[in-house]
Amino acid sequence: MKNNIIILGGGQAAIYAAIEIRKNDTESNIKILGEESILPYERPPLSKDFLLDKKHEEDLFFHSSDVLINENIDFDNVSINKVDFENKKLFTKNDNVYSYDILLISTGSENKKLCLDDNLNNDFYYLRNLEEAKIIKEIVLNKNQITIIGGGFIGLEIASSLSQLQKKVTVIEIGNQLMGRIIPKQIADLVQNTHIEHGNEIILNKQIDKIIKKNDIYEILLNDNSLIETDFVIAGIGSTPSIKLFENTNLKLDNGIVTNQFCETSIKDVYAAGDVSNFYHPLYERNMRLESYQHAQNHGICAGKNISGVKTEYTSIPWMWSDQFNLNLQLTGICDDYEEIIERGSEINNGVIYFFLKNKKIRGACGLGILGKVGRDIRITTKLIEKNTIVDRQILSDQNQKLNKLIPKL
Amino acid sequence: MSEENWIEVGSTDSIEEEDLIRFDHQDKTFCVYRLTDGFYATDGICTHEEVHLEDGLVMDDEIECPMHQGIFNIKSGKALSPPACVDLKTYPVKVDNDKIFIKID
Ligand SMILES: Cc1cc2nc3c(=O)[nH]c(=O)nc-3n(C[C@H](O)[C@H](O)[C@H](O)COP(=O)(O)OP(=O)(O)OC[C@H]3O[C@@H](n4cnc5c(N)ncnc54)[C@H](O)[C@@H]3O)c2cc1C
Ligand code: FES
Repeated sequence: MKNNIIILGGGQAAIYAAIEIRKNDTESNIKILGEESILPYERPPLSKDFLLDKKHEEDLFFHSSDVLINENIDFDNVSINKVDFENKKLFTKNDNVYSYDILLISTGSENKKLCLDDNLNNDFYYLRNLEEAKIIKEIVLNKNQITIIGGGFIGLEIASSLSQLQKKVTVIEIGNQLMGRIIPKQIADLVQNTHIEHGNEIILNKQIDKIIKKNDIYEILLNDNSLIETDFVIAGIGSTPSIKLFENTNLKLDNGIVTNQFCETSIKDVYAAGDVSNFYHPLYERNMRLESYQHAQNHGICAGKNISGVKTEYTSIPWMWSDQFNLNLQLTGICDDYEEIIERGSEINNGVIYFFLKNKKIRGACGLGILGKVGRDIRITTKLIEKNTIVDRQILSDQNQKLNKLIPKL
Repeated sequence: MSEENWIEVGSTDSIEEEDLIRFDHQDKTFCVYRLTDGFYATDGICTHEEVHLEDGLVMDDEIECPMHQGIFNIKSGKALSPPACVDLKTYPVKVDNDKIFIKID
C-alpha cells in the first residue's frame, strides 16, 4: 500500500529509518522534515575532531544528496511548530501543511539552558548542532580563558579539545564527581586526572551564585565565594528530549515520548525513535531513554522496519562512548541496577573495566582505556549481556584471562 | 610479481583461529588474521580515526574496531558499519613452510 510517510526531525535516527523503510517499501512517499538546513550528519565529532579541525563539515554527512535522490527520499528544510494527530497533519510557522499516513518522530534532544541572569542569556554558548560548533570554533580562536559549566560527557569533550588547542580551561561541576553517578567514581577520577595532567582545572561540588560581565570578562562567583575570571563561557549542563511540540496533545509523554519495543507511541500510526523516545526494553523489562550514536542508528532502523511492516522488537543492548584526550570511555548495558561490582584491570594503558552484576549475570559495564583498549572486552561483555550468561567472577576480574572464554559455546 | 615484496610476518601458529596479530613493517602497521579458511591481511589502523585494529574483535569474516565499533570485512576491506565509512586496504597473504607472508606494495 502506498503511504505518505513523514519523518519529523532530520537527524541520525531519521536517516536510518528512511533508508530502512525504502529497503522494504519501494512505493510509499518518504519525506524527512528537518529544521537544520543541511542533510542528517554525525554529531559526535562536533565536540572533538570538528573543533580540532581534523574533521570538516563535508566529512560529517551520513549520506549525500545523490543517495537520497536515488532512494527517493525527500528532505524539506522546515521547522514544524504544530501537530494535529487527529487529522494527521503537521504545520510550519507559516501554516504550510504536511499530511501523513504514518509519522515517525525523531526530534532528538536539546540542551538545558542556564538560568542565571536573563541579560546574559546571549553570552553563554551551547553545543548541539553544526551551527553552534562553527560559532564556538570561530570564537575560541580569540579567547584564552574558557570556562565550561557542567562536567558531563559533552562538556569534558569540549574541555579536552580546547585544551589541545592550547586554551586554559576550567570545568565547574556541581556534583562530587565528573560524568554523573552512572560512571564508577574510580573511572571518573582517572578521567579527571587526565584533564588535570593536561592543564585543565576541574572544580567539583561547587554551584555558581552569579556571573557578572565586566567589559569582555566574565566573573563567575561560586558558592564558596571563590571567583573565576574567564573570557568565554560554554554550558553543557545536560539535555532534555525535544517534546515541547507535543505537550498539549494526547501523545503519551514521560521523560520523552513513551514507546513500546516496536517504536510505537500511544497514538496509532505514530512512531518515535532516537534521543526523543523513552522506549521499553524487553531484556531489562523497563523503559529507558538513551542519547547515543549507536542507539539513534539502531532504533531508527528498528522504527523503519516496523513502519514498513516488518514487525521487529528493539532489543539492542545500550552502548556509547566518549573520547577525551587519548582516552576512550565505553558504557554497555545499564549500570544503575546491580548487586555487585567487579573490577578488571587498574591502569588506563591496559584498560580498566567495572562490571555491574545482578543474579550472577552482567547487567552493564563501564570501561576506560587509552584509545580502543577496552573495546574488545566491552564488546564481548555486550554479547554476555545479550545471551544472559551466568559469568565466572574470577575470569571477569583477571585481565590475563580472555573474556571470550565466558561466551557459552553452542 | 617481484619476490622481494613478500614480507615474512611469522609462523602460522602465532595466530589463534578467529584472531589477529599486529605486524609493523617500516613505518606501517598491518593486521594479519587467521580465519577458518585461511590467513588474511589488512591495514592495521582504522579508517575512521588513528586507532589500532589489533585491539578489535574478529567475528567470522569481520573485524570490529575497538574504539567506536566500526566494522570491516576482513577479506574485502569493505566498511560495513558506521562510523567507519572508508574501506580498509587489504593485502595478499601466502603461507610457505608454516610461515606467513604478506605482499606489501
Ligand atoms: C556534541 C555532541 C557529541 C556527541 N558525542 C557522542 C559520542 O561521542 N558518542 C555517542 O554515542 N553519542 C554522542 N552524541 C549523541 C548522538 O549524537 C545523539 O544521540 C544522536 O545524534 C541522536 O540522534 P537523533 O536522530 O535522535 O537526534 P538528532 O541527531 O539530534 O536529530 C534531531 C533533529 O531534529 C530536528 N528537529 C527537532 N525539532 C524539530 C522540529 N520541530 N521541526 C523540524 N526539525 C526538528 C533537530 O534540529 C535535529 O536536527 C553526541 C551528541 C552531541 C550533541
Ligand atoms: S576509530 Fe575505528 S570506528 Fe572510530
